Amino acid sequence: MKIEMFHLCPYRDLPEDFREKYRSVWVDVPRHLFDGEIAARTYNQTLDELKYAAEMGYDGICVNEHHQNAYGLMPSPNIMAAIMSRETEDVAIIVMGNSIALYDPPIRVAEEFAMLDCISGGRLVAGFPVGSAMDTAFGYGANPATLREKYAEAEELILRAWEEDEVFSFDGKYTQLRYVNLWPRPLQKPRPPIWVPGAGSIETWNNCIEKGHLYAYLSYSGFKRGKQVMDGFWKVARAAGVDNPYHAGFLQLVCVADNEQELHDKYAAHTEYFFNKMLHIYPGFADPPGYRTIDTIKAGLMAQTTSFGRAGEGESTFDELREAGNVVAGTPQQVANQLEQVIKDLRIGHLMILNQFGSIPHELAKENIRRTAQEVVPQLRHLWPEYEDHWWPQNAIVRDSVEATAD
Amino acid sequence: MNERSISVRNGRFEVDVLEGGSGDPLLFLHGVFGLEWTPLLERLSLGHTVVAPRTPGFGESTGTENLDDIHDLVFFYLDLLDELDLSHLPLVGHSLGGMFAAELAATQPERFSHVALASPFGLWDNADPVTDLFTISLPDLAKAMYANEKSEAAVAVATAPQARMTEVDPETDEGQATINYLVERAKSMSTAAKYLWPIPNRGLVKRLHRVRQPGLVIWGESDGIVPPVYAERFAAQMPNAVVHIVPDAAHMVVDEQPDHVAGLIEDLLAR
Repeated sequence: MKIEMFHLCPYRDLPEDFREKYRSVWVDVPRHLFDGEIAARTYNQTLDELKYAAEMGYDGICVNEHHQNAYGLMPSPNIMAAIMSRETEDVAIIVMGNSIALYDPPIRVAEEFAMLDCISGGRLVAGFPVGSAMDTAFGYGANPATLREKYAEAEELILRAWEEDEVFSFDGKYTQLRYVNLWPRPLQKPRPPIWVPGAGSIETWNNCIEKGHLYAYLSYSGFKRGKQVMDGFWKVARAAGVDNPYHAGFLQLVCVADNEQELHDKYAAHTEYFFNKMLHIYPGFADPPGYRTIDTIKAGLMAQTTSFGRAGEGESTFDELREAGNVVAGTPQQVANQLEQVIKDLRIGHLMILNQFGSIPHELAKENIRRTAQEVVPQLRHLWPEYEDHWWPQNAIVRDSVEATAD
Repeated sequence: MNERSISVRNGRFEVDVLEGGSGDPLLFLHGVFGLEWTPLLERLSLGHTVVAPRTPGFGESTGTENLDDIHDLVFFYLDLLDELDLSHLPLVGHSLGGMFAAELAATQPERFSHVALASPFGLWDNADPVTDLFTISLPDLAKAMYANEKSEAAVAVATAPQARMTEVDPETDEGQATINYLVERAKSMSTAAKYLWPIPNRGLVKRLHRVRQPGLVIWGESDGIVPPVYAERFAAQMPNAVVHIVPDAAHMVVDEQPDHVAGLIEDLLAR
C-alpha cells in the first residue's frame, strides 16, 4: 500500500460571508477578493508543507491543476512540481496532472513532464485529467462537447511522442504536426506511469482499463459514495480481467488529534470552510452540455455520484461531514482503522490524503501532516502485500511490501 | 403535417423532416430549443408547403458526430436540400436556425428567394453580450425566452428537471420520462454548443453582406437571450433587409406571436 499527500493550495482567507454574498468559488469568483500578499504566503507555505510531507515519510506528494478559482491556486502544477523535484530526494512527484486537452499543441505537456522526470531523476507520475467543467469549459473556453475527443487525441500524441524512436508526423483533427521529435524525453523508460484522476465518469474508467492507466477517484463525496463509484470501476475492471488494487487510487480528507474536544477545536471550522466555501460552485458551471456523456448522465441519475464538489448543496457541519465519510477524523488509531476499512472496501492501492484543506493554517497543517505520516501511515503500508505496483515511478522510494506474487 | 426521415450522404445522417400544407415550398429552420409543428408553421402552411427539418443532434435526427463546426453544418444542409430537390425557395430561420439560415443564404444566395431571420444568433458585440445560454438558471431562462413569464410555456421551462438536481427512479414511467427529457436536452444542447460555445460568433459578420435577397429581421421586443439591439446589426449587413420589432414577445417570438410573425413573412414574400 502506498500513501501520498495531496495538496490543493487553496486560498485560505475568503471572507466569513463568502457563501451568502457570492455565487461561486470558481469561474466568476470576485477578483477583488484576491490579495497578492496572501497568495505569496500561501504558495510558499504550500511548498513548505509538501516538502515537510516528504520528510515525514509520505511515499509521494501530489499537486494538481485548476483555473480561475479560490479552491486551488495552481493553474500550473508543473511549477510546484519543478520546485519539489529539487527540494525532495526520493518521494514520487505526482502531478495530478495536466489537462491535456487544453494545451495547443499538447506536445507542451509531453515536454514539461519529460523535463520534470529528468530533473526529479525519474520520480514523476504523469497525471492526465480531463479537467473539471469549471476549469476546461469555462476557465479555458473549451467546448465541453468535444473535450473528450480532444483529450483522446492529445493522449495518443503524447504517448507516441514519449515512446516512439523515430521522428513522426501527426495528422490529428485538433493538432497537426509535421515533425514530432521530443527533446527532452522522459528519464523513465518507456515513460512515466500515468494516473488519471476522475470524478466517476464511465468513459474514464474504460479508458484507464483499456490503456492500463491508474484510475484515481478524486471527489469529496467521501468514502461512502466513493464505494459506489469504485464498485462501478471494479466491475468494469474485472470484466477485463484486472483486479490489482494498485490500479486504483482514492482521495480522502484526514485530520488527527488526541481526543474529540481537540479535533473540534482544531479542525471543525477549517473543515466547514472547505466544504461550505471551497466547494460552493454555481450549478450552471458544473455541468455544461456535452461535458458528461449520455451514458454517464444516465448512470449518474441513478447513483448521484458523478458530481464534482457539491454544487447546489446546502451547508454542512463538521459532525455531519464525519458521519457521511467526507472527512476521516479521530485519534491516530481511529483514523488508521477507518482508513484500513476504506482501503479494503474501495480496493485501492494508492491513498491520497489531504492534510491541509480549507483554511487550515500552516502550523496546524504541519502538525496534521506529521501525525498522519508518523502515526497513521505506517499502520497501513502492510496492505496488499501480494500485489505488485506497476504504477509507481521507477526511481521513487518503495517502502511497502515487495514480496509481490500476483499481478 | 407529415413526418418522414430523409437519408443524407448514404445514411451518415437520418434527418426528420416535418412537412405540411400545399403550394410552393418554404424552408423553416428551428431554434435552439428544438422543433415542433407550431401554430406559426400551421399558419404558413395555409399558403405554402412548409418543410421543417430537424437538425442532427436534435430529437431522432442522427449524424451530429459528423459535424464539427458551422462549415460542416452548412454543407450538410446543402446536401439535404439537394436530396429534397429544393431551390429558389424562401428561407425562414429562428434562433440557432436563424444563424444557420444566414450562413446558408450567404453561401448560396441564388438558392433562396427570400430570407427571414427571427432572433438569430451569429453576431457578437462586447457592448451587448448575448446571454450565456449554457449557464443560466431555468427560471431566468424562462424569463429570457418568454415575454409573459406566467405563460404555460414559460412555467414549463422554469420548472423543468435538471440533470444535477434530479434523482429519478428508472423503474417508473415518470422516471423514464425524466431521463428521456434530460438525455434529449443534453444531446441537443451539446449539439448547439458546437455552433455557440463559448461565444456565439463563428465569423458570420464577414459573410452576412452576401445575404442580399429581400430580407426580414424579426425580433421579440423583450428577447433576453439575444438582445434586440442585434436586429439593426443584422440589417446593417444585409442590403435588402427590413427590421420588425414585435411587442409582447421575447426570444420565442415565433411561438409567442405566430399570427404577427406569419403576417410579416407573408409581406416579405410579396416583395
